[in-house]
Amino acid sequence: MDISFALTGKGYVIVAADTTAARSIVKMKVDEDKIKVLSPHLLMAYSGEPGDTVQFAEYIERNIRLYHIRNTYALRPPSAASWIRRSLADSLRSRRPYAVNLLVGGYDTSTHTPHLYWIDYLGTMSEVPFAAHGYGAYFALSLLDRYHDPEASVEEGLATLRRCLDEVAKRLVVTPEKYKVKIVDKDGVREVEI
Amino acid sequence: MARRYDSRTTIFSPEGRLYQIEYAMEAISHAGIVIGVLSKDGVVLAAEKKVTGKLLDMSGAKGQSYGGSGEKIFLLNSNVIGGVAGITADANSLINYARQAAQRHLYMYNEDIPVELLAQRLCDLKQGYTQYGGLRPFGVSLLYAGYDPHYQFQLYHSDPSGNYSGWKATCIGANNGTATSLLKQDYKEDISVADAIELVLKVMSKTMDSTTLGSEKRAYYLALRFVFRKRGAAQIADRETTVEFATLTLDAEKKPKAKIYNPAEIDALLHKHGLAKKDEEGSVAAPIPSDQTV
Amino acid sequence: MSIMEYNGGSVIAMVGKECVAIASDLRLGNQALGISSNFQKIFPMTDRIYLGLPGLATDVTTLRDTFRYRLNMYKIKEEREIEPETFAHLVSSTLYERRFGPWFIEPVMAGLEKTPSGAYKPFIAATDLIGCINFAKDFVVAGTASSKLFGVAEGLWEPDLEPEDLFETCAQTLLNAVDRDAYSGWGAEVYLITKDKVIKRTLKGRMD
Repeated sequence: MDISFALTGKGYVIVAADTTAARSIVKMKVDEDKIKVLSPHLLMAYSGEPGDTVQFAEYIERNIRLYHIRNTYALRPPSAASWIRRSLADSLRSRRPYAVNLLVGGYDTSTHTPHLYWIDYLGTMSEVPFAAHGYGAYFALSLLDRYHDPEASVEEGLATLRRCLDEVAKRLVVTPEKYKVKIVDKDGVREVEI
Repeated sequence: MARRYDSRTTIFSPEGRLYQIEYAMEAISHAGIVIGVLSKDGVVLAAEKKVTGKLLDMSGAKGQSYGGSGEKIFLLNSNVIGGVAGITADANSLINYARQAAQRHLYMYNEDIPVELLAQRLCDLKQGYTQYGGLRPFGVSLLYAGYDPHYQFQLYHSDPSGNYSGWKATCIGANNGTATSLLKQDYKEDISVADAIELVLKVMSKTMDSTTLGSEKRAYYLALRFVFRKRGAAQIADRETTVEFATLTLDAEKKPKAKIYNPAEIDALLHKHGLAKKDEEGSVAAPIPSDQTV
Repeated sequence: MSIMEYNGGSVIAMVGKECVAIASDLRLGNQALGISSNFQKIFPMTDRIYLGLPGLATDVTTLRDTFRYRLNMYKIKEEREIEPETFAHLVSSTLYERRFGPWFIEPVMAGLEKTPSGAYKPFIAATDLIGCINFAKDFVVAGTASSKLFGVAEGLWEPDLEPEDLFETCAQTLLNAVDRDAYSGWGAEVYLITKDKVIKRTLKGRMD
């Protein structure tokens, strides 16, 4: 099962997701990017039912892009997250709901604040300082309770993320070998190696 | 020529015109004027309400308040005020549509609808009636005075064809040509909301119907005096107002604050700007027929 | 596991003398795993009516949005705020619309009703998840700690409590009840509604 983490810091959000694409017990791919860049200052890590994930993420990606093209400005992170939540909540009571869990991280350029949203497949949404999905959550959340600092620099933030990844590597039976890490701040989105 | 090509909204005339649309716009140019002025710290709307007559029972009306129960100025959403000119029945339908559209946006995105997007929603509807046949277009022009975090304060105008455009100052309805040239003359780039209120009142008083009767200066006092007296008269039509007025500014928390003035507040405003007072000096106290519309 | 217990959370409302109080915990969980300690379940509907929405968290947000839509349209068309009793019926009919595929929420509401004489009368009510209204005269409870809330409230509540006494009664009832419930807690908030003001207080609670 996929693992994803995200945490906020001083003027940024870090989003990390493992890069494994698996079918049952077989690894099909080890370099899958499961973090979409929805707009210049918005990231979304997705996990859940294979098939549903990519289908839903692309639907979101293209609709957010369409809004950007139509209106010349992109949706701000709180509005984008609310719309994504709405899509999942509507889907939940449809004939065939999407089973996709999300971490939406963005930087609001009009208020100069980072935002992180934890969203599950039911459409439950909560704005949080840090978040995780998958089995990683059981190991990382307690670590983040202890080490997370909303005023931390990017380097400190990445060090805290490192602790989480190490803990998962140490204690989880099936541990992913690689993660993709992306940061969004006032300058937009960038990928970092960890 | 017109006769053959104006029965349907969707048929072009050989000169390339859509007559029904032009007629709709003609209808609007007879309606009470609505003036809008954009300033750096707010937007101002004022409208002239044509008084129907003293037998009209206004006891049910509560006077303009939260949503603007007047005839010309309405709250479309917490961040947008609308001013309408044209067929009242059509306007009511469009206002309801606008309010629903704004709430739908709030429901989907958990944010107030951006002002231009709301104008677009209405224009999509209006444009439909220039292309899909069988019905007549909406005989309504609107002014939208609003605020959103993307472009701050904004003022838009939309017409029956579904065209819309953004303005620093504009007007719709009767005498809009006169009003526009007055606005052009007196509009300053960095106007404050207080000055915008004054400008709107001034243009309003110069362009209302009764002003065409007398000299410009005299009429200026006349119109405002009349506005004031009409509302002050406690007997039959004490709830009738002849001017509707609204502003959109930001409150202490930087949230948009829409204020639609009630009759008493309009009186106070006129007093404050010395417009009502000058009149009481009696220099132009010519007899005014009591049923004259302003 | 019932879907009503999936995210956890509890709400209580109490009547006092010319005042009402409504309180909730702040936990959002995924069964036993805590996700957030800042998940609001009580929302202002008007200046004088507050609505608590314990139950499935996705429906908390959906219903909050739905009521905001409906109340905004009510207010702009009627040019007045809705009265509590009318609002209770709006809640009821909104839930009953989904009689055979319900929102998993048991709403609790508290407000002050304006009487013809100009005085304010306390109003509380709760409904089940399909909108059957319970107009109570003392207190109403809902959520994963509802059984415990009943017990503590039964012991602490008395008629005609003054505002500050009502606040204390309501806060202590909630805090002590959620300490016996694994799915509720992680802090709390209390709204005290009196005729001239509404006081919101955020309380610390056990973080376990």
